[in-house]
Amino acid sequence: MRSRLLRNALWSLAVLAVLSGLSLGLPALDNAIASARPVPAGVPYDVGAGVSLVPPAGAQVDVTRTAPGRDEGTALFLLGGVRFSVRAEPFTGGLDQATAQLREGITATRGYQVTGAEVPVRTAAGVPGRQGGYTSPGRQGRYTAFLAAGTAVDVTFAGGDLELHDSLEALEASVLSIRFGRP
Amino acid sequence: MTTDSTARDARDAMPGPPAESPSAVPDAGLVIPTPAWARARRSLRLPAFWLLIVLLAVGGWQIGGLLRQEAAGYPLAAGLAAVLFVLYAVPFVAVVRSLDYFEREPPLLLVAALGWGALTATAVAVRGDSAVHDLLAKLVSPSFAASWGPAVAGPTVEELAKTLGVVVIVLVARAQINSVIDGVVYGACVGLGFQVVEDIGYALNAVALAGHGDSVKPVIGTFLLRGFLGGLWSHTLFSALAGSGIAYAALHHDRPSWKRWGAAIGALAGAWLFHFCWNSPLLADGFGYGGAGVLAALLIKGIPALLLVTLLVRRASRREAGYYLDHLAGDERVVTVRELAALGSGRTRAAARRYARGEGGRAGRRAVRRLQRAQALLALELSRGGRRAGRYRAAALAQRQVLESLGHPDAYAPDGASAADWSWLVGCLCAAVLAVGLALAIRALGGS
Repeated sequence: MRSRLLRNALWSLAVLAVLSGLSLGLPALDNAIASARPVPAGVPYDVGAGVSLVPPAGAQVDVTRTAPGRDEGTALFLLGGVRFSVRAEPFTGGLDQATAQLREGITATRGYQVTGAEVPVRTAAGVPGRQGGYTSPGRQGRYTAFLAAGTAVDVTFAGGDLELHDSLEALEASVLSIRFGRP
Repeated sequence: MTTDSTARDARDAMPGPPAESPSAVPDAGLVIPTPAWARARRSLRLPAFWLLIVLLAVGGWQIGGLLRQEAAGYPLAAGLAAVLFVLYAVPFVAVVRSLDYFEREPPLLLVAALGWGALTATAVAVRGDSAVHDLLAKLVSPSFAASWGPAVAGPTVEELAKTLGVVVIVLVARAQINSVIDGVVYGACVGLGFQVVEDIGYALNAVALAGHGDSVKPVIGTFLLRGFLGGLWSHTLFSALAGSGIAYAALHHDRPSWKRWGAAIGALAGAWLFHFCWNSPLLADGFGYGGAGVLAALLIKGIPALLLVTLLVRRASRREAGYYLDHLAGDERVVTVRELAALGSGRTRAAARRYARGEGGRAGRRAVRRLQRAQALLALELSRGGRRAGRYRAAALAQRQVLESLGHPDAYAPDGASAADWSWLVGCLCAAVLAVGLALAIRALGGS
């Protein structure tokens, strides 16, 4: 009986060890490896769905929050403490609807508020978009929506006042560098 | 017949089975009946039992918190998702239980298996899947993680976590694992529990992504898509396959270790491979033929797993039936040769009941159902030593009298039922028609 109990205890420990490996070991291994990777300066970065942009100089891409795909894609760039997110996906409505959807997505998060009026913007390639500002606890941000050829691109960036002020010009230039269509 | 020896003596005293009876009884494989001395409370002394309780509690706390958080913004959608997917599980449980006709598993163990899949395995998968996905993005590329991440992370983490549920059931109640079929049953229950909770999570994600507030439309779309188009060959099947390997390893102590481990690892690898194929982006474009092509791709990915597990269950249940019926053969008053043949599979048992309805109406069908149950319980009891065999024998004889009074004394299945049939083809065609109908319904709901 004692040997049976011992065997049962050893098997139980083995089960616990494997489960711990899956639920604690894998996340620990994941956390031990940095997720930010530098991106080459001045080179267009493929976000997915045929959309690309030139990231700000010195930006890093968070590979765990970046998922390029044929029909849709996302990318998250980190510039110091500023988070710069781009998402491209198929969209059947107009630019106003795409902008409204992005705005609603931002304000759906508790503590996030849209500030001021939206203004029209245009990418360097001439694609029209709409841009506005928002605040979140301790951070300021901007959102921009573009729409071309059935693909909507949502861009948001946010950071602390000082960090955002220092990198605002580079971020805006990166937003306007967005290009639609596969090369 | 209250002791082992009297039971055996009684069987020995019975007239020998007729010459054709061996063909009526399928070959017996390795089946180890639950011993008469087995008691549930003995499990309380086992460390594995307390491990099971703790892991169910921890998993329940984590998954409960996660679902409560997701459901907070969408109470109506969350309620509907929970009701739909729990109801969806009911016929699955009925089918899974029917596989195990002779020695049915204790309901508490089935609930434990469902709970392991729904709570413990999902809690492990939430953390493990995300970590594997991120590791792939870091070590290979974000593009690889986006397309192949689900195909690698899902099977690797989830199949292992679910299969450990069957291992724990074996550790807690080793005596209840009587044949490979029991591994299939417990594995399927673990997989079903996982599938239900995962699908509720997917439904709530769909509601959030739709961006229309507490809407039920995405829930119904997810229910049709994941419940039917994807659910028929999903976690329930994968885990049933893996569970069969664990049961084989637990039962076959007469085989070399490498064979037992090989069977367990091979079945787990098979579950991993089917899950990998199902999650992989291969054929995701439906051969370029739009919705029809995607539907065809789903069938191509799903049907091999369904066929393999169906064949495995069929073979294993025939072996199990053969073992138990071998104990029953000999007493023509309790079971005739033709009834032995009918008892061998669910299809022929059902055919015998249908035939009885034609011959003796609803009373005839009811009597055959009761006779079959009494015969199965008697066979089980005789295989265990037969302390209560007298009770079941009396029950069988009582139903025999009812059948005799109805002019249908022999509860056999007509010849057509035992011959090779084409019901599987009809079933496949019905499934294909159902799949097309569901695809159209999903499209009408705004899915792609």
